[in-house]
Order: sequence, then C-alpha cells, then structure tokens
Amino acid sequence: MYQYDEIDRSFVNERVAEFRDQTRRFLAGELTEDEFRPLRLRNGLYIQTHAPMLRVAIPYGLLSTRQLRMLAHIARRYDRGYGHFSTRQNIQYNWPKLAEVPDILAELATVEMHAIQTSGNCIRNVTSDHLAGVAADELEDPRPWCELIRQWSTLHPEFNYLPRKFKIAVTGAPNDRAASAVHDIGLHLVRGADGAVGFEVLVGGGLGRMPIIGKRIRAWLPQQELLAYLEAILRVYNRYGRRDNIHRARIKVLVKSLGTEEFTRQVEAEYAANRAVAPNVGAAEIARLRASFAPPRYKELDDTDPSVSAAPDFVAWYRHNTRAHKVAGYRVVFVSLKKHGEAPGDMTDAQMDALAELADRHSFGEVRVTHDQNLVLADVPQHALRTLHAELAPLGLATPNIGTLTDMICCPGLDFCSLANAGSIDIAKQIHEQFDDFDYLYDLGEIQVKMSGCMNACGHHHVGHIGILGVDKHGEEWYQITLGGSATGEVALGEVIGPSVPKAQVAATLARIVGVYLERRDGEAENFLQVVRRLGIAPFKERVYATDTVAA
Amino acid sequence: MRQILWQRELRADPWRYPGEDGEGPLVQTLAELLADAGAVVADGAAAGSAAGVRLGPTDDVALLAPLVARLALVVIEFETSGDGRGYSQAQLLRQRLGYQGELRAAGAIRRDHLFLLARCGFDAFDFAPGEDARAALAHLESYRVAYQPASGRLVQPRMRP
Ligand code: SF4
Repeated sequence: MYQYDEIDRSFVNERVAEFRDQTRRFLAGELTEDEFRPLRLRNGLYIQTHAPMLRVAIPYGLLSTRQLRMLAHIARRYDRGYGHFSTRQNIQYNWPKLAEVPDILAELATVEMHAIQTSGNCIRNVTSDHLAGVAADELEDPRPWCELIRQWSTLHPEFNYLPRKFKIAVTGAPNDRAASAVHDIGLHLVRGADGAVGFEVLVGGGLGRMPIIGKRIRAWLPQQELLAYLEAILRVYNRYGRRDNIHRARIKVLVKSLGTEEFTRQVEAEYAANRAVAPNVGAAEIARLRASFAPPRYKELDDTDPSVSAAPDFVAWYRHNTRAHKVAGYRVVFVSLKKHGEAPGDMTDAQMDALAELADRHSFGEVRVTHDQNLVLADVPQHALRTLHAELAPLGLATPNIGTLTDMICCPGLDFCSLANAGSIDIAKQIHEQFDDFDYLYDLGEIQVKMSGCMNACGHHHVGHIGILGVDKHGEEWYQITLGGSATGEVALGEVIGPSVPKAQVAATLARIVGVYLERRDGEAENFLQVVRRLGIAPFKERVYATDTVAA
Repeated sequence: MRQILWQRELRADPWRYPGEDGEGPLVQTLAELLADAGAVVADGAAAGSAAGVRLGPTDDVALLAPLVARLALVVIEFETSGDGRGYSQAQLLRQRLGYQGELRAAGAIRRDHLFLLARCGFDAFDFAPGEDARAALAHLESYRVAYQPASGRLVQPRMRP
C-alpha cells in the first residue's frame, strides 16, 4: 500500500499542530463556536447527541495491520472500546473528549492516518472498490488514482470552502462495487476506442433528499488529464453551485438546473481554458503511485477446494463469506461485522487487535473496509481458510451472512446522530431476531437491505433492494419502505411502497415482503431484485397493507 | 486608520473603500469601475490613473479582462468564511487574466484561512475585527508543504516534483 514520504509526513504533522492550536484557542475563548465549527469539521470532529464524534479517514478503505492496531488503541484509550465503520469506508468514534482530539490526531499521524476533510463542505475521503487489485473482472487497479486524488484534494487551495460536501468514488472494474453512480463524481477506468485505459466521468449522483443517478459528462478522459478535469468540474461547481439553501447546494442540483449538456459544456470550456496551468500528472508520479500498489508476493499454490468434506459451519462460511481471487490458490475473505444482535459496522478494540494478528498471518498484513460496513482480508491462501475460520468464529467475526438479508447497511441513527428522525440500530436487531434461521436466509438469496435514520441517507436506503428510512411522526419513530433500489449493475432508486410502518412492525413487514418473493419467484435462480423488477411493487404493497395491523 | 497585512508587512491602508470619506484613492465597485471605463473609452481620453475595485462573491472577474493593466488593487470580499467563491476569483485573476497588482482578501477571514488564500494569489489581507495580524503571519509559517500547484507567490510551500 501507499507509504508516506517526507512530504506527506510533514503535511500531516503540521496539520495536527495546527488543530492543537485551534482547539486551544477555542477552549480559551479566542474562537467562538461559530468560528471553530468549520475548523473542527475539517478535522473530522462533529458535536453529536452525546459527545463529539470523530471520523477518521481510511483512504479508499485500505488499512495496514499497524493502522488497525492504532484504531484499536484509540478505541481503548480515548473511547469506549469500539469504533463504527461507516458507508464511506471511514471509522467513527462516538465518545472522544474534545480536549483529547489533538492527541488522537497525533497518534494517528504516527501510522500515516488523519481525519482531514472527513466532514465539512470540502472534498471528502475518496472511496473505491474493496476488491481493487484482486477482482478478476478488474481492468486496472483504481487505487493509485485514488491516492493521487487523496493528495490533490487535501487542502486544495481553491476548493476547501465549497457550497456543500463533495464525494468522489473511483472504480476499475465494470462491476461497480463502490456505488460510484451516487457520488458527486464517479470515475470508472474504461478502455477507449484506441484501446488505452482512461476515465469515464459521471457527475451529480447522490442520495439524501434528492436521490439521483450521476450523469455521464465524459465517455473517456486520458488518465494523465484526471486532475485537470477534476479542477474544471470543481471550479464550475465552486463558482456556480448554490449557497443560499443547504438543501440545494450539492453539485447534483447545479447539474440538474443547468441541464447535463450545458453543465458539460461549461466544464469542457473551463478545462480547455485552464490547460496551461492545471496540474499535470507526470509519468514518474504515476509510476511511483502504481509501484505502491504492486501485488503482494503471491506463492504458487494448489487450487484445491477446502470445503470438500468440511464441517457444515465451515462450508456455509466458505460459500457465503469468501469470494474468488484472481490468483489461483487464494481467496477473498469477508469479515462480517453483522453479527446478529450487534450494531452493524461496530467493532471492538479486542476484535481489531485480533483481526490485525490474523491479517498478518494470513493476508499480507492488510485489511480493507467495504462501503457496506464489513471488512475484507483480500489475499488469503485457500489452505489457510479452515484455520482462519476457526480463529474468526470465536471473535464473532465469522457470521456467515455476507450478501444475505441480515448483512444490512445501517447508519448510527437516533442512538448517536443528532440529525436522526428514528433509530436504526434497534431495527437492525429486530430484523436479526426475525431472520435468525440461516437456512431460510440462504433460501432468500441475495437481498440488500439498507437503512437510514433520516433523509440524509447515510445508510444508502434509496439503493437498497429493500430500503428503510426512519421518519418522525409526531415524535414517534416510523419507517418508510422502498423496494427495487440498486447501487450496482443497472443502478436504480427504490420505490416507496406506501405509508410508513410503526417501529414494532418493521421486521414483520420485511417478512411479508420476502414471503411474496418466495411465492412468486421463478425458481431459486431468480433473485429478489429481479422479481421486484419483473412484478413491480404492487403485489408487495398488497401483502404489506393487507390487514390494518401493519399500516397506519 | 485601517491596518492591512500587505506582503508580510503591516501597513496603513492608502485606499478608501466605497462610501468612505478622507484622503487617498477610492476603491470602486465593479459596476462603478465598468461605467467609468466606458466613459473613458467614449471620451477617447487616455486611461486614468491606477484604479482599485472591490468584488463581491457573485461578480464575474472575466469582466475585468480589458482593464487589468489599469488596476492596482482588487479587493475580494468574503461575506462569510465558508463562502469559497473568492478563492476561484483570485485564481482566475492571477492565472487567466495575468493580474499582477495587489490582491486583497477582506471580510470574514482569520489566520486559519490565510495559507489557502495566499496560495490562491492573495497578497494582502484585511482581517475580521479582533484578529491579530502578527499572530496570523506567524501562523502562515506552520504550512511548509502542499500537494497542488496554485497561483500564489507570497508562500512557497515545498511540493513533490
Ligand atoms: S442518515 Fe441521518 S440519522 Fe443516519 S447517520 Fe446520516 S444523518 Fe444521521
């Protein structure tokens, strides 16, 4: 993975010192709360329901075990012994003390990490495919480009006070595992007409109050032009994005109001006019970044299936929590953070330390974070899988539910987030209880459930096969259900099935919905999303609101 | 008398802002400047002495293109510290219009914004009330490296080649 050089190290250390001084000025009354807010936000610090919340960047989801151990140490020393992995491949701590945050940042800097621009109206942590570098369908590893964007976007002199937050995702495979179509900018590595690999550029995707799929403004951009083109997009947005209404300030609103064609024209004009001074990525820098993501030293291993004549619990885990690797003899392992009864995405310090140990032993000392809140050991030899499974299971990290209904995305909701309308962790637990029969879960096949505690949609509910949105009805927690969303393949936004349901009925409602699926599917080969697409929401709606016990 | 941090020095402002009385040349609004410039051209008279102009966040700097050689001061107003349009205005003035004169940031700016402002080409600062200009200047030294090319010359951070 990428290693800091002297420039990166000075950069981060200087910023830690600056934030220490800013915190001191705030605590001494030299900065007002209004003045301090944008400064702390640019260092990942929110003020939440109970306490400050610190969001630490995990650039494109990649962690060394040294970094993971540091995250464990921070959870233990400065928090309550756990952290929460978010849908943007970051980690959030819910209980740090404001006065200690500079110390936390200083500790993070020792392992080449920071919290810069993890909140605020600026370019946020760049996200990517959690299978980068190991997926068989990949055209090119997106991570060197992600790192280039990380550096370019960090304290960009011109684009640090944008109308609103700005999220970029990069993928290098046709199968989009980074939900790039719902980002402010989605970049796809694609082959151009002459065979050279460049970027397809999508702009203006997003969720929240106005969910919308990104519009393609460039079919192919030469790779070395990436930063020049990003500067053009950002400059058009910085100058003309709305600043009068926070709900109209994302770039998607600008793209929509100008129209894709006119927006594209403005970007292309700015790009052309700025060529002489725009950042120009040299071949040497690209080579340096590519070298940092060179594949690990894979061995030549036998490609034998370890599930043959194995115990049933291993077979279930192997089938659901591991995936093919592009190198024969290796497997990609998903570490489920969706143990039934636990808050999705949460991990304790002890689990982090133990996983770091396992990653050192079995997966070249690296761990990845997925946008659906699991972790990945990307390079595990097949012959080590049985041992690994036996080690993960007692840690509570081997729940064999990846891709099933209980592998749901869930934002922190009312328990932690001051913006929430309703709880989401409670609902996750309710769903865990309702769907506790794994054979039944496996029979249901792939179903992505995504849940947000409010319209901000941190839980990506619009693109869940089943989306759950918390709403506030006269001070009570209610939930709106959508069906048919998808963040990959044919990207789609879910459709609301009808009036929201009361808190106690959410899991029961899901049971009715999947009941319709089981009755109407054309055999096991037709998955939930396909059935919803074929039938539309009508039969589901009919079943959900069939009696007045659920609807209101 | 208004004190300006100018080229790393604290000095009394020789200019008057729109609406201010007293000595010194008057900074005009963009509309006033453009109206005057039109009159000058219509008269066939030579361009007058060096002008100063004050821009709000929605003013289009491209309108200054024909007047750049005459301008000695451009003041860009930051109504709030979160409104980043002034940073793009500055970069365009320096890079696209080739403006060489004093480029001043005024309004809701503090030491915490100084480095990025300087990198975008600002070389003079009229701080928010209560900010200590000397402390701000010292703060500027806490930035030694940067990742992106930009137009400013007041600071020269180290960058990767
Ligand atoms: S979706 Fe709403 S409730 Fe959930 S984390 Fe985001 S802002 Fe908070």
